Parts: sequence; structure tokens; C-alpha cells
Amino acid sequence: MSEKKTPSQITAKLREECRRLLETGTVHTVIGFARGSLPDRTVPVFITNPKDVEHLTWNPFCAANLSKYLLDHRRPGGKAAIIVKGCDSRGIVRLLQDNQILRDQVHILGIPCRGQYDHRKIPGLVAGETGPPDPESAALVHPELLFEKCAYCENPTPVIYDLLLDDAVEPIAGSNGRFAEITALEEKTALEKSAYWDDHFNRCLRCYACRNACPACTCRECVFDQFDPDWVSKRNNLSENTAFHLIRAFHVAGRCVDCGECDRVCPVQIPLRLLNRKIIKDLDELFEAPTPGTDINVKPALGDFNSRDPDKFH
Amino acid sequence: MGNNGPLLPHPAMITKIVDETGDVRTFQVVFDDPARMENFSNKPGQVAQLSVFGLGEATISITSSPTRRGLLEFSVKKVGRLTTALHQLEEGCRIGIRGPYGNHFPYDQMVGRDILFIGGGIGLAPLRSLIDFILAEENRQRYGTVDIIYGARSADDLCFKNDIMERWPTAPRTVVHTTVDRGDRSWNGHVGFVPSYLEEINPEPENRIAITCGPPIMIKFVLQVLEKMGYTDQQIITTLELKMKCGIGKCGRCNIGSSFVCLDGPVFTLAQLKQMPPEF
Amino acid sequence: MPAILKKDKLQALLSGLSRAYKLVLPVRENGMTYFKPYQTGLAIDRDYINTAMSPKEFLFPQTEKMLSFKYREGAEILITGAEPQPEKLAVFGARSCDLAGIAALDPVFGGRFPDPQYSTRRDRVLLVGLGCRRASSTCFCRAFNIDPLSCNGADIAVVELEDCFSVEARTDKGHAQLANFSQLLGEDNSGTVETSLSGAREAIDTSFDGIPDPAGIKDFLDRQFELPYWENIASRCLGCGICTYICPTCHCFDIFDVTRGKPDGNRYRCWDSCMFPDFTGMAGGHNPRPTPKERVRNRFMHKLKYHLDRYEIGGCVGCGRCVEKCPVNLDIRQVINDINKLQGGEN
Repeated sequence: MSEKKTPSQITAKLREECRRLLETGTVHTVIGFARGSLPDRTVPVFITNPKDVEHLTWNPFCAANLSKYLLDHRRPGGKAAIIVKGCDSRGIVRLLQDNQILRDQVHILGIPCRGQYDHRKIPGLVAGETGPPDPESAALVHPELLFEKCAYCENPTPVIYDLLLDDAVEPIAGSNGRFAEITALEEKTALEKSAYWDDHFNRCLRCYACRNACPACTCRECVFDQFDPDWVSKRNNLSENTAFHLIRAFHVAGRCVDCGECDRVCPVQIPLRLLNRKIIKDLDELFEAPTPGTDINVKPALGDFNSRDPDKFH
Repeated sequence: MGNNGPLLPHPAMITKIVDETGDVRTFQVVFDDPARMENFSNKPGQVAQLSVFGLGEATISITSSPTRRGLLEFSVKKVGRLTTALHQLEEGCRIGIRGPYGNHFPYDQMVGRDILFIGGGIGLAPLRSLIDFILAEENRQRYGTVDIIYGARSADDLCFKNDIMERWPTAPRTVVHTTVDRGDRSWNGHVGFVPSYLEEINPEPENRIAITCGPPIMIKFVLQVLEKMGYTDQQIITTLELKMKCGIGKCGRCNIGSSFVCLDGPVFTLAQLKQMPPEF
Repeated sequence: MPAILKKDKLQALLSGLSRAYKLVLPVRENGMTYFKPYQTGLAIDRDYINTAMSPKEFLFPQTEKMLSFKYREGAEILITGAEPQPEKLAVFGARSCDLAGIAALDPVFGGRFPDPQYSTRRDRVLLVGLGCRRASSTCFCRAFNIDPLSCNGADIAVVELEDCFSVEARTDKGHAQLANFSQLLGEDNSGTVETSLSGAREAIDTSFDGIPDPAGIKDFLDRQFELPYWENIASRCLGCGICTYICPTCHCFDIFDVTRGKPDGNRYRCWDSCMFPDFTGMAGGHNPRPTPKERVRNRFMHKLKYHLDRYEIGGCVGCGRCVEKCPVNLDIRQVINDINKLQGGEN
């Protein structure tokens, strides 16, 4: 097995491949990451000119799931290239299964991922202290900075791709099992759970970043934007905030691919992915359903019927 | 009452409803409080916020001239939730009103000039407040001739039929030119779009002010025709319609560049509009 | 002339303030700092640079009841405006950028139609500013000539120095309040404050990471509206409300009624965001800002030009919250730099 590539080697390969894709007209746009305005950020970029591929980068601060941007770059008869990690690639499966894009409209460049750093864990990043990731290093220098979700990563290697830019990465066997975080929550008493979520939902700003970032949330008219009926108003209170989050979790149930974007984008750090992951656990127990998006041939559990589905009526 | 000041509506009763067209109704309303009715001093071109309690508010221009005391008239086209709810109300029902908001037609600066009104569809409603203001006995002498060019999609869609057919044509030095986009058996008058009718009639720009309101596409072509006919940007006035909520320049919704339609408008000259970003 | 408060007397000052006011102070919770109501023993976050939410929420709450309506006999409606809250609020720990934010909001809620709910809170609030010791990687108040040590706009200004706090009343209200704490405060007989302040100033000035220069921005934007640049940066915007809700100068709101199916109900005023697609959408379908490009352009032009045009006060105070929280790193400092480059290209 060859040496794992360093982030800067992957970046070089990425640029080369994207330049080729654009120059040959194979794709009209490349959706990828570029360096952000701070050392611990990257930004989504949409490159149409082969010369601009120099802006593309790959490093452990590429946490965003770019798959939803495919919806802005659909062209009949055309192809957009997109750079995805494992969790992101499940988002592409989501869009494909929801008929939001066609397989031949997207050219998937997969990058097996060993984890992404959560910039919020780096207090007041000052150059020289916990500095920007060393692009030459292949190893994860700061495992303590990883997102919580990375410890439970089921698909470090993208599940769908046209090209992999590095060798496949095997999932790290979680010491406590896939749903350890959820079991811990389940073991709380009803009052403890209520207090736990009340504390979080009280902070919710109702900014809708979670919904907007979610690749499963693609309704043309979102239920929360409807006037008639007015399911939630713009009032911010515990009741409405709770209603919003629980309803949204159920609306994406069976389709949420657990990419963790909702969690990452939340400005007040509500651990939203726990809601979705709980539902994924339930679906696993009820329907033996894998995490949605893992396999494009497995339909969403709640959108499919199987005669062996649990049936408590008889 | 509590502390809401400018955002507090006041109860008013619908005293009369007139069906102008299939989807436009004119509501005559009177404030419950006679002193408020007496002191409500709107100027032609201003708007008010109408409340249907339980649903919210909508910004509707005041179509009655302030020379008509004791009532306010609003013409409402049924296009959305609130206007649909308004249309379901009956005489005797109560709504809330707060206002008047916005600037007004510069009627003082129009003294001594000939006035050309160009309206389309429901766009005649805000113009009507100024037409009736000018035609009012106490004001008529101060203004020159009044020409009203008005059109709608069809004869059925003409608003204020009584005004355009009876009242205004018989007013002193006033001519009404009505047209419809699409004629039918009930219609004996001119058939054609408002901008082309305007070009046909060809009112000269000398000492004249042109005021227009109607669907955006109509306004666009009307402005082209007016400019072609030699009207300067200062001679052309329009009134804009944008989504408004507070009406008092605080909620941030109705801005066009640095201007708020609710404070700096809705009446703008073309000269002013050209200084503003094309975002309306 | 600033007085001295020994560091171990801070809690006593807070406790004293909490007796005269409903006091909120910066407290660490869930990894971030928020203004929380004072309780005995509640400790201030000594390390925070700024709170997650600006103090605008205390003058202009996210959710505010405006009035209630009740249907009565004979189709009459009784409309009752909401009563102002009786309590007086004190905000301890307002940074200079946030105080500048309040100064930017004052003319919005004043003007020709003064807003009684805002002005009641504004008149009653006691603003205790806290000078900053260092900048975060996202701070850039300096770009708008805001001095992080100045606490301009506060009733009482507090600056943490090496060995003590300097405490200075800036308004009559501030003087009146400080008079209650004369036993806690000492006079600065040896010019400690003066000396320490210059040290504090040097510390903070060197801690800024790179300050954009907005000097020529308004002039350029006065002339240029249709820039392809806006399309570029808008393409990544999620259209959420994060930047607007955490911004100290944003003031957009919606007005709507809530009845829960009955004829009687309440009317509310709640924060809204110009970044939401439907913000300017009209019944009938027309929307003057139909795509992210128009909305992103409108937001930045509002912060860098429109607010300045209307009120002669800048719309951005450089607090850096939007930079910190934007999920796609849409950085207003970058926008200023990019526009400066475009302007350079223009010349």
C-alpha cells in the first residue's frame, strides 16, 4: 500500500484533474474548496475558468458539505464536478435518490477523509500556537480538534465517485459502537432529556441555517415558510423552537444522511445531529436500514415498503 | 391605551363596499372615533396600513381625496392572503387603520400646470386621490387642464367605472381617454394598450406634469413614450408599490438603495428614480 | 476622572447593581459567552472577547408583543397596545463595538416616528461598557474608527487594567449610579489609571490581525451598483439569517398576528432577515430581490453605504460576529478589500 498522500499532494492532484476537466469541457463548473479569510476556514468556490483551479485547496478545514450546491449548477446536458468527502458523498446520493439531480449531471471527485478540524475548538487562533494545519503532514496532528461526528465516521471513503484522489480509508472502529452518543441520551430520564433539549432549543435563533444547509431539505416550499397553515411563526420561544427542530427532524427522517452540516452551521452550537442520529438508530432497529445515502440502491426506509417491515397490528 | 405609538392601528368600520371589477373592491371606512376621523389629514398619494386582525396588515393607498371629509376609501385588489380576507368582509365589519404614511404628490408644485394622468388597472387608485383633489371645487381653479388616460385588460377590469364614464368627463376642463387591451361586444371605445394610446393622443409636454401608475410593464413603456415625446425627468411622476410592513422606515423591508418607499416615497419623480438602484 | 475598583470588588459592584436594576452580564455557557441575568454568585466570564449575541436584544427583543385585539359585541374590536415592561435593565460588559451598534440603531428607532417600545427601554437602560484587552482574529472595530478602550456611548465605562479596573461615569445616569458605590471605588491619586491605560492601549492595538480600510467604499458604491462581484460571493450564501440576527446594527422586523384559531389574539413584532428569499416578496409574486445576488448585495451595501447615507452613522461596527459565524466564511472584511481592489482597477 502506498504512502498516504499529504493534503498538499491531494491539492496538487485536484488542481490538475480539475484543470483537465474544465479545459476539455467535460464539466462546466467545479465546486470545491478554497482558502478562507482565516487560516482555519475554507470557502466554497465555483470555478468555471481552468486558470482559476489554482484557488482549489484541500486541508482538514474542508468541513462543509458542498453537495447541495449542485442544485445551483444543474444544466441540462451539462456536468458539474464536485469535491466530496465520505459524509458529503452520501449527500449526493440523497440528491440523486430525491431526483434533484441526475447522475450524468455530476462528476464526483472523492477524497477519502481522515477527519475534519472543528475551528470552533480552536480558541482565538493565533499564528504560532495551534497554527494552520501543516499542509505537508499526512498525519492528523490534532485529533482533539476533530468534529465529534468524525469519531463515528461510517464512510471515510466516498460511497459514490467518478475518481478517488487518494487511497481508500477504512472506518475507525468506534470503541463504544455506532450509536454510543445516542444510547447515552436515551439513558437519561424524561425530565433530564427535556431539560437537555430545552437548554439547547432556548438558544436557537431560528436562523434556518440548519435547514438551508441540509441536502435532504429541498422542498420548493418549506413547511416552515407556509402561511396557511402557519405552523411556526417568527416568534422565538421554546415551544416554537422545539416544534421547528422536531418537525424538521421527522421531515427528513429516513432521508437524512447524517452529514452533520446542521450541527456545524448552527451559530449557537445546538447538537442537532443527535436528533437525526437517534432517528437513524431507530430505523436501524425497526427496518434494519443502513444510514441513508450509504448505498444508492437502498431506498429511504420510510419511502419504501417491504413485506417484512415490522407490523404490530397482527 | 398602551405604548405602541405609530404602530398601533385604530378601529374603523366598513360603511360601504363597491365591486369595481371581479377582483377589485373599494371599501369606504370610517374611524370609530369621530375625532380621529375628523383629524385624519392625509394628502393625495399617501397610503395607510389596513389591519385584518388575526391575519396582519397590508399597505393600501388612500384612493379618496382629502377634500372628501368623514371617510376614507381604499381600493383593494385580491392578490394574496390578506386582500382575500379583506374581500370576505362585509359592510359593518371592523378593520384597523394606521397612517397616513409616505410622501404625497407634489400638488403645490403642480399649481398652474396641465396635468396628465396615465393609469393602468388598479394603478388608477392612488392617482384618483389626486384627480379628485384637483377637481375639487376649492382647488380646480389653481390647476390647468386635466387629461386622464386609463386602460385595463378588458372592459370588466376597468376600475372606478362611474368616475371614468360620468363624473370626471363632466368636470371642468377635464378629458378622459379610456382604452382596453382587449375589446368585446360590451365595449364601444378605444382598443389598445395604454402606452400606444398615449402615443396616439400625444399630449404635449409644454407646461405639463405627467403622473403614471400601473403594472410595471405598462410603466416601463409609458416612460419610454413620455421620454420620446419630450417630457423631462422632472416632469414625470410615478408612485411605486413595494412590500411594506411598518410604514415608518424601521422594519427595513421597503428600501430601494438608501431610500425607504414608506418614508421617501411612494411618490417619486423619474429624476429621483434614476438616482436609485433599479431594485423595485 | 476615572475611579479605581479593586479586582476583588467587582462581584460587590455587580451585586449592588443587581439591586437597582435587572442586571445582565457576560457568562460562559456551552462554549460561548452570553449575556445572562445576574444571580448571586454568578461569575462573569473573565476571558471573553465578545458575547455571541449583541446587546441589541435588550432594546429590540427578537420577539415582542405589540398589541392584543379582542372582538366584542356588535363587531367592535378592542385594540390594546402592549404595556412597557416595568423593570430597568443594566447591561454590564457592553463592548465599544456594541455600544457603537446601539448608537447606529438609535436614529432608526427614533426619527419622525419614534418607536415607544425601543425608546422606553433605551431611556431606562444602564449601559456599563467594558474596554477590551485584546482583539480576536475576527475583530475589526478599528476600521470604523471605533476605539475598543473608549466605551463611547456607555453610561459607565469600565476598563480592566493590570491590577485594577478603572471606572468612569460618562452620563448623568452613570454619575448617579456610581454615587451609590462610593465605598467600593477609590481615587486614583498616583495616576495608576493613566499609566496602565497606555499599556492596555498598546496591548490591544497590536492584537488586531489585519484591518480593512473602508474609506473609499461608500464613494465607489455610490457609483457602482451592478457589479459582477456580487454574483461571485452570493453564490455560496446559504440564505440563512445568522449574520443579520447576530449583527448589532441589523434592525429588520416582521409584523404579524397570532390567534391560534380564535378570533382574539396578539400582534407581534419579530426579527426578520433581508437574507430570507421572501423578505421582499409581494402578494402576486413580484420580488425585487429574487436571487441571493440581490440580497447579498443589498446587505453589504446597507452596511457599508445605505445606513451611512440615511443616518450619517456607519452600518458596520467591526464586531466580527458575522465573520465568526457565517457557515460559508462570507467575510465583510474580505468584501471591503475586494471592493478596494475593484476600485483600484477602476482607476
